[in-house]
Amino acid sequence: MTASVLASAPATRTTLLGASMGLMKRGLQRILRLPSAFFPALMMPIFQSIAFSGTFFAITKIPGFPTDRSINWFMPLGACMGSAFSGVGLGFALIGDIETGFFDRLRMAPAPRNALLLGPLLTAWFRTMLVVTAVLIVGFILGARLTGGVLGLIVLYVAGLGIATMATGWGLGLAFRFRDMRGAAVMQLGLFVAIFLSSAQTPLNVMQGWLHGVARVNPVTNILRLSRQGFVGDLTWSGSWGGLVAIALMGALALVFARRGLDGLDK
Amino acid sequence: MTTAMSPLGAAFDPAADHRVERHLWAQTVAMSKRSVIAIIRQPALVAPSLVFPLFFAALGSSSFSRATGLPGFPKVDSFLALSLAASVIQGVLFGSTNGGAALAVDIENGFFDRLLASPTSRVSILIGSLAGSALFGAVQALFFTVVMMIFGVHLYGGIVGLLVIVLAGALIGLSIGALLAAMALRTGSAEAVQGVFPLLFIMLFFSSAFFPRETMRGIYRTIANINPVSHLYEGMRDLVIDRLSAGAVARALLIPIAIGCVSIPIALSQLRRRLKAL
Repeated sequence: MTASVLASAPATRTTLLGASMGLMKRGLQRILRLPSAFFPALMMPIFQSIAFSGTFFAITKIPGFPTDRSINWFMPLGACMGSAFSGVGLGFALIGDIETGFFDRLRMAPAPRNALLLGPLLTAWFRTMLVVTAVLIVGFILGARLTGGVLGLIVLYVAGLGIATMATGWGLGLAFRFRDMRGAAVMQLGLFVAIFLSSAQTPLNVMQGWLHGVARVNPVTNILRLSRQGFVGDLTWSGSWGGLVAIALMGALALVFARRGLDGLDK
Repeated sequence: MTTAMSPLGAAFDPAADHRVERHLWAQTVAMSKRSVIAIIRQPALVAPSLVFPLFFAALGSSSFSRATGLPGFPKVDSFLALSLAASVIQGVLFGSTNGGAALAVDIENGFFDRLLASPTSRVSILIGSLAGSALFGAVQALFFTVVMMIFGVHLYGGIVGLLVIVLAGALIGLSIGALLAAMALRTGSAEAVQGVFPLLFIMLFFSSAFFPRETMRGIYRTIANINPVSHLYEGMRDLVIDRLSAGAVARALLIPIAIGCVSIPIALSQLRRRLKAL
């Protein structure tokens, strides 16, 4: 269907945006056709927000902890985890397309190469919007409160979209290189480790030992700080710019990684 | 049932009965060996069940080390000491899923049918699978304990405490393995068995395995109070952070035994159901 979307354009070559939108449409239809593939990415962050905020409620009593509501601390983490898995899910889908040969047909379509990256990226962003919204709804039901105003919601979505961009680039890049389901484990493991070796569970000033050194230089720490801006204290530029820079750099690197993988597939 | 299944078919001869028992034992040992070899041969499946719990323990010890001073926490040398029992339970849950999935794969690829066509006791197929899970559970428990002792955890329960933890690991592997084997026999699908894992994970998270019940409140505390994993964890934890006590030993051993008393008959009934359907 997508191949026909790409090929049925009036000109001999579809525009980047047109082809990408076609691929995004296919990605969204996949959610309806195969909800079991998207369901874990939606439920996992909700479960994580609920479980972490209940189990680790006591950490808010540690001197120096920036909030007295555990849900305020863990809900942005759940949203970011969900965003990451929304992005990496596109890597799983790509592996399926490569294995069935459908991706070869997409590559033969007269569409810009970058559409094969932008299409999944747009799908990942759409999925991220759904996941972050679902996590927010559950979070507010469980007692989360905005401390940084409505702008805090916007930065949470920005952080989610940023992480989804990184995860999509990472997932697609690995899918182009592995070309089978072995890549799926590496995709998940890489994200999991990157997120947890940061301030995912506790802020830097509460950590002790080896993790503090790792989390301090991990760019994900900055992105999580950005995501929590609206829920932990006030929204400030000093707490936000690091995350925005990390998103821009890591997102660009991940997409270059994916593009090089695609070029490698062509060779 | 065993007599009826006997390949020798001599039900009333005492000598033959003895031979049948010997055969049953030999078959069970062979199936157990196969189950263990299947685990060893798939390091990619085994490694996560050993690495992830250690990763979480290392994360927790760094993230939550300052929490041990909070009201509600037991007196401990370090957060890592609290993590040992949680790592064992978490690792065995991961590992048991693999055992159940392996049985489902046998059903999917037809190997289970070939076993049924051979003169093999039906029960030994199940016992073999469960023995593999139990043995792997014991090895995991020993592995986590040794690794954490290297990183400074002192086992106040002593050598007896260590033995109880290892035995508890085996019993958890057996009881949870039976639950997953029942799922495998019921559905014949490895995917369905893997699908049970999130439920086990939820049980683990809504327990006191990561933070003491005393630090929780509301519905979380209520769920943790009635969750058997909390009591199992606390029994094993007390063997690490406190001196040996009958209460700790009882909780560490009796809870997996109680779970097994439910899960093993379920697995056997699912085996009978599958055999009837053939």
